Order: sequence, then structure tokens, then C-alpha cells
Amino acid sequence: MHGDVDSHILKIALIGNPNSGKSTVFNQITGLRQRTGNFPGVTVEVKEGSLHFPNGQEAVLYDFPGTYSLYPTSSDEKVVASVLCNPSDPFFPDAILYVADVTKLEKHLLLFTQLLDLNLPIVLALNMSDSAADLGIKVNVPKLTETFGVPVVSISGRTGHNTMRLLLELEKLVQLNSALGRKPFYVFTETEKQISEAIRLNLAIENPYRALLTAHHYQWLPFLKKSDKDTIDAINDTKKFQSLRTQVDETLERYDRFTPLAKQAVNAPPVFPNTVTDRIDAVLTHRWWGPLIFLFVMLLVFQAIFDWSTYPMDWIESGFASLGELISTRMPATWYTELLTDGVLAGLGGIMVFIPQIALLFLLVSILEEIGYMSRVVFMFDKTMRRFGMNGRSMISLISGSACAVPAIMSSRTIGNWQERLITIMVTPFISCSARIPVYLVLIGLAVPAIKIMGVFSLQSLVFGAMYLLGLLTALAAGWAMKRWLNRREHSFLAIELPVYRMPHWKNVMLNVRENVWAFITGAGKIILVVSVALWALSRFGPGNAIQEAESVARMESMQKGADTTATEELVQQRRLEASWAGQAGKWMEPAIRPLGYDWKIGIALLTSFAAREVFTGTLAVLYNMSDQEADINDRSETQAKATLREKMKGEKHSDNGQPVYSLATALSLLVFYALSMQCFSTLAVVKRETGSWKWALVQFLFMSILAYFAAWAVYVAFT
Amino acid sequence: MQRRYRTIKDLKINESAKAIAFEDSNLACKLTSMGVLPGTRIEMIRTSPFGSAYYVKADGVRLALREEEAASILLEA
Repeated sequence: MHGDVDSHILKIALIGNPNSGKSTVFNQITGLRQRTGNFPGVTVEVKEGSLHFPNGQEAVLYDFPGTYSLYPTSSDEKVVASVLCNPSDPFFPDAILYVADVTKLEKHLLLFTQLLDLNLPIVLALNMSDSAADLGIKVNVPKLTETFGVPVVSISGRTGHNTMRLLLELEKLVQLNSALGRKPFYVFTETEKQISEAIRLNLAIENPYRALLTAHHYQWLPFLKKSDKDTIDAINDTKKFQSLRTQVDETLERYDRFTPLAKQAVNAPPVFPNTVTDRIDAVLTHRWWGPLIFLFVMLLVFQAIFDWSTYPMDWIESGFASLGELISTRMPATWYTELLTDGVLAGLGGIMVFIPQIALLFLLVSILEEIGYMSRVVFMFDKTMRRFGMNGRSMISLISGSACAVPAIMSSRTIGNWQERLITIMVTPFISCSARIPVYLVLIGLAVPAIKIMGVFSLQSLVFGAMYLLGLLTALAAGWAMKRWLNRREHSFLAIELPVYRMPHWKNVMLNVRENVWAFITGAGKIILVVSVALWALSRFGPGNAIQEAESVARMESMQKGADTTATEELVQQRRLEASWAGQAGKWMEPAIRPLGYDWKIGIALLTSFAAREVFTGTLAVLYNMSDQEADINDRSETQAKATLREKMKGEKHSDNGQPVYSLATALSLLVFYALSMQCFSTLAVVKRETGSWKWALVQFLFMSILAYFAAWAVYVAFT
Repeated sequence: MQRRYRTIKDLKINESAKAIAFEDSNLACKLTSMGVLPGTRIEMIRTSPFGSAYYVKADGVRLALREEEAASILLEA
């Protein structure tokens, strides 16, 4: 069928309407043999899995985005039309496996008849045979086979009923190539005929319906040359082709033709009750109860990633810590041991520690998606979130963002509209995450007096709450601004189907969790590891002999003072960090951060806290020469350690003018800086993974840093 | 401008009427693909909690529509 002789693996496209149960069928057929990729050039995901025909032959199954028609209204749907219009597309299928929900066959046949007219080998799978049986729907399969002239199989993606039969039909189909020479289902109007004919001749397109689709879509079809587009433009012009109108007319004509055919083959009871869904929705989308229940569901999600996930996270952290200790006691105390423990192991631990949160969040989100609740969330919060350039589903990302931006940004994958998803990704890191808490606690304790306002409200708690509010408001404002900035006048619709509630299919849920955890490890994990090692190297090595010299000076000073071993080691550690590349950079950047009230030591902490915001306190502890016990903020004496650090910070003076470093103005300025800045490369790595390029990660980094800088500066000036 | 037709926006809760035409051709394309055709009876189920979106039922399909989308679907008088 295709010209290429080299080992051509058969490609099967899985196509169907949204909510046709297509993904369940995909998971049923491919199981664990699947991975996720992107359609080239667009941010639309495609899952690919391998399948074996009963005769042992292998094929790839591509799970195309769910679409209602070959006349697309979203970027997801455009992919399907674009691939099928271009036989040299790498995803162009050898055969199509079309999945239709048998309980809604009259709606799901539209796209099917369009595919018929493309004259590709196709199998019609009537999915949800189990629900159909429950509803008393009887389908005359031989009748449908005869009507459409294609193999028809009644299946259930959930129970796996007839999967083998389906594969057998597919196998027969690809061997016979039986599609060729099928009679078109839809009969062209005179204009359509002329246009299709002209385009076929000029562009050498074999199939008349593909030629017609090209006439409709030429403006955005990515593979067409400029000259081809001009040709089509001219043809459409002379024929006065009204694309949109023609599309609607064709759609209506198709319905007129296939509705009676479907009625003949399907024997359904007169009315579907489905009152269960109606009764559930009367509560879940209720004016008052709806948002309230959503709030409760979000509390559950929040609880899961904020609280439940801390147990496995602690195990992972302590596991890596003891592994590191084991290695450093067994190996020589040189730089490569440190590279292994402080660089590589710390980086690996830094990746693994995200996994519980990601897995738990996706477990819950997948369940909500599977049962059909997410569409209701979109319905309820469409207006609210659209004002800020986002989607009802963005609520999940923003709320999860208060635990950690990494899983939160990944959960934006359920947002279909690219612009809304992008804005969600860009603003989520403004929400104060749990890693900011230790920084807030230390700084608030330092700057804000422990007094009560009106005898009830602790001022410190109020400031703490204000930091969260600042993050949320900035996120919304940034979304609002970005919506205006991007403002592609792409037609955006709500018009979504609210599917019937059903029990989650656990196989789908588990595969989804696995896929997302894996995407994080392979996509963002690598970057996190590399940056972790680089940050380690920056604080471990310095220019020339600077580090060694700093160390010997420190040892000499300690000896003169007669300090004990612990005190000596602390001083050595402090001086080494000061002499390192990170220390140099801190000094080098001091003029830039001085207007915010920071000195070079804070500069170092700003740099090292890129690994994770909470590193800020750890770095300051080293720089202010705290003993290990004092500095161990994760220890039980947490409050005590923070108090000690605070004492040390209070004593710090600017080297030039002898003023205290941590005045109220500096502390508040630092608070605002940490609330708004992008101090987390794990987040940047995930943004890169999710947007497909460094471009948006960089835009986000610059935007947040500049905003944080000026906001912090303004606060410093205001309070000085 | 005075409206000659009623639209979905004008439906009361639990009221239903036949759709006769779509004013917005982009939306017409989308809705017809979803199986909402001229002649389909559309029933208003409820409005969204914060207003401005409608939960409707059309020939067994449950749909969420924005205010302006609902306003572009003309109904039989």
C-alpha cells in the first residue's frame, strides 16, 4: 500500500468520539506495552502501544485524541484531521480501529461515515456491550456489517469481551486490504464535486473526500506548501466555496442517511432512563451544594498530597540519607565521594521524593476524570476561571500547587485547550508551595513581632496567611494579564458533553498513574539530576586554589583561637562555601541585590535554594556557622533550630556600614521575593517537559524573577 | 436590537423547546458534530452555580453551554 520497502510496521489508528471508551479499549489491547509521545510540532499527546495479531504479526496502535468529526474545533481534534489528510504523515494509519459507544450509536456514526469515505481499511468496534446489555439494547451486528460493508465487532473495553475477535478482524483486514474501491457513503453536491475534482487534479490527491477535506482545512494544514495553498485558495474562490456552511450541510446530510440505518440495526427500549446520573447531578452541580462538594473534594486532594504523601516522602528522604552516609563512611573522603553523595544521590533523592505526591495526585485526578466528575467541574467554574485565562480544570492545578508545583503542573494535562493549559502552567508556581513554609517561618519569626492584634489574632499568623493570599492573587492577576497578552482569537467553546457517571475502571486509573510518574522521571528527572550535580559542583569547587587557601586560613584562625574540632570544622565549612564559585557568585551579585537589602551571603542562599526553596535556611545555617545539630531543621528540635538560626541572623551586620542585615525591611523584602520568584529548578524542568521546550520555562523564570525583584525592592523601600 | 426568536437562554428550568437554527456557524459545526441538530428538542436543566453557563439536555445528550453559546441557538416560537 505504501511505497516504502524498509521494514514497515503496521500502524493502526484508534479513533472515536470523546467518551466512547476508546482509552479503555486501548489499555485493554496494549496493557503495559504503551508509551506517550507528542504529535510532531503540536502539543497534542499521542499514546502508542504495541499489539500482536493472533497470527503473531506485530503492529503499533496509536490512540488518537477523541473527536466528534473531521471538521475540528480544537487543536486536539485538528490533529486527527491533519494526519488523515496526509498519507505521508508518520502517523498515517494502515487501518483504523473505530470505537463507538453502542448506547449512543446514532451520535457516534458521524465520524465513522466520514472515515468510510476516506477509503481506509476500518473495523467498527461497538464498545460498552456490557452497558448495552444492562440497558436492554440489542444490536444486529450482521445487519450493520452488511450495511456498511466493514467488519463490525461488539466488544467491551471494560470486561475485555471479544478483544480477540476484534484483533482477528483487524488481522484479516490488513491482510486483505479490503477497503479499496468502497462506494462513498456521502454523495457530494455539485460544488463539492467540482472543488474536489479540481483539487485532486492539481494536488494529485487520490481520494475525493480527502480532496474535499483539504479544501476545507487548507489554511491550517501544516504539511501543505505555500503554492498548494494558493492553488486551493484560487479554486475555492472561483467556486465561491463557503466552507463552514458546507461542513454543516454535509454533517446534516450524513445524519439523514445513517440515522435510519442505525435505527434498523439497533433495538433499544424507547427511553433511556439514566436517572442515576440526573439524580447525582442534581446534587453535584447544584447551585450551592456543587461548589461546596467540590471544595470538600479539593480538601481531600490537598490532604493527600500535603499530608498522606509525607510518609513515603520521609522514607525516601531518610533512605537516601542513610545510603549517602553509608557510602561516605565506606569510601575515601575526597571529591568523588562527595560527588556521589551530595551531588548524584542528593539529585536522585530529589527526584524520587516527588513521586508519592505525583502518584497520589494522579490517582485522585484519574478517578475524578474516570467517573465523569471533571466535566462537571469545568461546567461549574468555567466563568470564574475563564476570566483569568484558565479552565475549570485549572482549579485542580492551583489547589495542588499549594502542596507542590511539580505534580500540580503535571495535572494540567487534562486541560484540552492549549492556551488555557499554558496559562495554568505559567501561574501555578505563584501559589505558595510547602517548600516555602520553612523559609516563611524563619523570616516571619525574624521580622514580625509575636504580638496579638485585638487580643486574638497573632500578627505572625496573619502575615503567614497574607503570604498565601499574595501568591494566589498574583497567580490570578498573572493569568488575567497573560490571557490579554496571548489572546489568540481562536474560537473557544465550552459546549462539552457531561458524560453519564460510571464506576472508575481501575486498569485505566493505574495505567494513568504509572504513565505520569514515568513521564516525570524521564522528562524532568534527568534535568533535576544534572542541575543538582551542577549546584553541588558550584558550592564544592572554587576558582584556582581559593578553596584550599580559605580552608588553611580557617584552620589557622581556629588554632590561634584554640577552638575545638567541631568549631573548626564549622568554620572550615563556612569559609569553603564562601570561597566557592557559589560564594564568588554571591559576592559578584551583591550590587544587584543590595537595593533589596540583601548582602552576598543571602545571594549565596538565593543561588543554592534553586535546588529547593527550603535549602535557603540550610545554606544560611552553614554561612552563619551553626553547628550541625543546631542546623538540622528536619530534626525534632525544629523550632529550636529555627530559633537559633534566627538569633544568628539577628546578629548579622552589613560589612560596609555596620547596619544589621536583617532589618524589618530586609526580612519582608525576602519574604515577598520568595513568595513570587521561581526559586525551583524542578518546577522549571517540569514546565520544560510539559510545554515541550525551554522557551516557556525561560519566559516563566524571567517573568517571575523580574516581578519578584521589583516587588521585593518596593517592599524594602517602603519599609526603610 | 430586538430579538425575533427565543434562544436557549430564554428557557426556564425544566422547560424544553425545539432548536431550529444556530446563529454562530462555528458553534453550529461543533453542535451538529455532537449530535445536536436543528429539530432536536432541548431541555433546560439548570444554570451553573456562578451563573453564565447552562446545563441542558438534547436528545439524551447532557451538555454544558456558555451563556453566549446558548444565546446563539434559536428555538421554535
